[in-house]
Parts: sequence; C-alpha cells; structure tokens
Amino acid sequence: MMHCTMDDLLALRAGEASVWARRHAEDCAVCRAELEVLYQRVAQLKALPPLHPPRDRWSIVRGAARTERNRRRRTWGGWGLAAAAALAGALLVPRLGGPGTLHAELSMAKNQSATLEDQLQSYDVDGRVLTGRMAAKLAELEDRIAVIDGDLARRGTLKPQAQDAELVQLWKQRVDLMRQLVNVRVGTARYVGL
Amino acid sequence: MTVALAVPDILVARAQAGDEAALEALYRAFETPVYNLARRMLRNAEDAEDVLQETFLEVVKSIRTYRGEGHLWGWVRKIAATKALMRIRREQLRAAEPLDDEPVGRPGMHVGANIDLERAFEQLSDTSRSVVWLHDVEGYTHEEISELMGKSVSFSKSQLARAHARLRRTLGEGEGATT
Repeated sequence: MMHCTMDDLLALRAGEASVWARRHAEDCAVCRAELEVLYQRVAQLKALPPLHPPRDRWSIVRGAARTERNRRRRTWGGWGLAAAAALAGALLVPRLGGPGTLHAELSMAKNQSATLEDQLQSYDVDGRVLTGRMAAKLAELEDRIAVIDGDLARRGTLKPQAQDAELVQLWKQRVDLMRQLVNVRVGTARYVGL
Repeated sequence: MTVALAVPDILVARAQAGDEAALEALYRAFETPVYNLARRMLRNAEDAEDVLQETFLEVVKSIRTYRGEGHLWGWVRKIAATKALMRIRREQLRAAEPLDDEPVGRPGMHVGANIDLERAFEQLSDTSRSVVWLHDVEGYTHEEISELMGKSVSFSKSQLARAHARLRRTLGEGEGATT
C-alpha cells in the first residue's frame, strides 16, 4: 500500500495537501499516526529550553552605540553650519513679520550650535574622564542632545514652514545643552592638565 | 522557543534617539532570543555569540530606520537570521561545499538510536536546521525563508521535508509509512 511521503505530511499540516493525500490520510491509520508524530515533534522543538549567551556582549555594543551617537551629533553640527550659511543668504532679503525673525533666530541657533561643536572637538577627551560625577553629567547631556537630534531628524521630514517656531526652540535647547557640554568638557580638560 | 516580546513605543523612540539606557534595555530584552535563534541555526557557540554581537551592532546603527512595521522583535529577528545565514553561506563557500542536506553526525553516534530531539536536531546540516527552526519554531513561511536564503520556495520545502524525514529516522519514530 502506498503511504504519504514526508512532503505529503508537511502539506497536510499546512493545509495544502493534494486530494489524494487528504483522502488517504482519512483512511490510513499509519499515516494518521505519522502525522501525529510530526505534530508532536514540532511541538517538542518549540518547547526546547532557550539557550543563553555564555558571555555578556553589551560592553562591545555600548561602545559602538557611543561611537554612533557621537557621529550623529557631529553630523548634525556640520549640517547646522551648512544650513546656517545657506540661510544667511536668504536673510539678506528683508522680510516683514514673524517668519523673517524666526529664520534669523533659527540661523543664529544653528550657527551657535556648529561653533560649539567645533569647540567641543578641541576638548573632546574621551577616555580621560576622571570622576564618576563628570562621566554621569556628560552622559546625561549627550543623551539629552541625542533626544533633540532625534526629534530634529523626525521633523526634517515634515514641512519646514509649519514647524519653524518649534524648530527654533529645539535648536535653542540644543545650543544650551551644547554649551553645558562644552563647559563640562573644558572642566575635564583642565582637570587632566590639557 | 517562541517569543512574544512587546516593547513599549517610548522605549523604541528613546533608542532611536540614541539613548544608551534604552538601547541596553532592548539588548537585555532580546539577547537570549537572538542568541537562541543563532545557536539553533549554527553549529558553533562562538559563531552564535558573534551573530548576537553583529545583530545588535546593526540594531544600534539602523534602529532609526525602523518605522514600527510589525513587532520590533520581528525586525531584530530578521537581522539575526540574515547574519546567521550569511555565516552559514561563508562557511560553506570556505569549505567549497554546496548548500548541503547531508547530516553532520558525530563520531560514535549511531543513526537510529533512541537519542533525544535536541541531539538529533544538532545532527542536521546547518541549512536544514535553519529551515526547520525558522519554519517550525519561528513561524517563517517558505516564501520568507526562500527570500532570506536567496533560494526558491521549493528548496525551502524540500529542505524541511528531508530534515523531518531524517529526524524521524534518527529518533526511530513512526511506523515506517513515509519514504
């Protein structure tokens, strides 16, 4: 007697079996038993205990995360400088009312942010932080800047005109945080005698 | 092992903004499922560890591109499965072997002996094991597996059938109906 192949059994399990396989399985106790064994095997596979990683790799991933965060921050800083230069041209044309003022404020904030980024580069002493308090403060400031950068990135896909006022606020917040970051970095550099 | 990990949107948003604590929370949530997936697909524990690391390096780099389609675990899992399959392909190229369906027995292990499922599963080739795990445990369709592997749907189906036939023989199951 011809029985179901494994292909047939898998097709039966998936509800895609041929008419012959479906009819045969209804009548054949051997094939029904095979199908049941297949179901049980899959259930046992699903029930296998999870295997845990023997070592913690978070420290390596964290290092990469910090590098990525610094790269993004620098990219934003560079972008800010370029955008400021582009906007400066637009500001040569006098505008009436709010939009002109907003553009000027936005331009100024981006310019300040870019300048602070440059300053930060000269004090960037990664790996030389000597106190836990300084390290915690730096991490906190960098996290807050990263959140703002993420927000700015998302708003980049929206219509700029509708977002100008909020953008100015975000860039001002960024400048404030960058200023604090530079101050902490300057303090760190002095501490290590640079 | 099935995983139904729901990650709060706010955690994802913070991770996308580069928040280190949020990224670590995601790492802690997914490190075991990712390692387990890689370890089931790969023969070598060190390779599985490397896949775990590579997966999260990719997560850190690309999480901003995650737009919330489906569960985050599905997104992370796809990265992990792709990394593991790349490693299998590299290993096969290095060994100048085709995508195999031959079992990898251990010296002294007798096929047909009443051994447990876990050991029988380990005896399958990397490709067969990957297909079985992705399809039967992780719930991937043959279409998704064929896309991940760069193979046809029929390749995925035949690998699954051969793997189950082999498991059945190794475990000494059934009454001899299947060929």
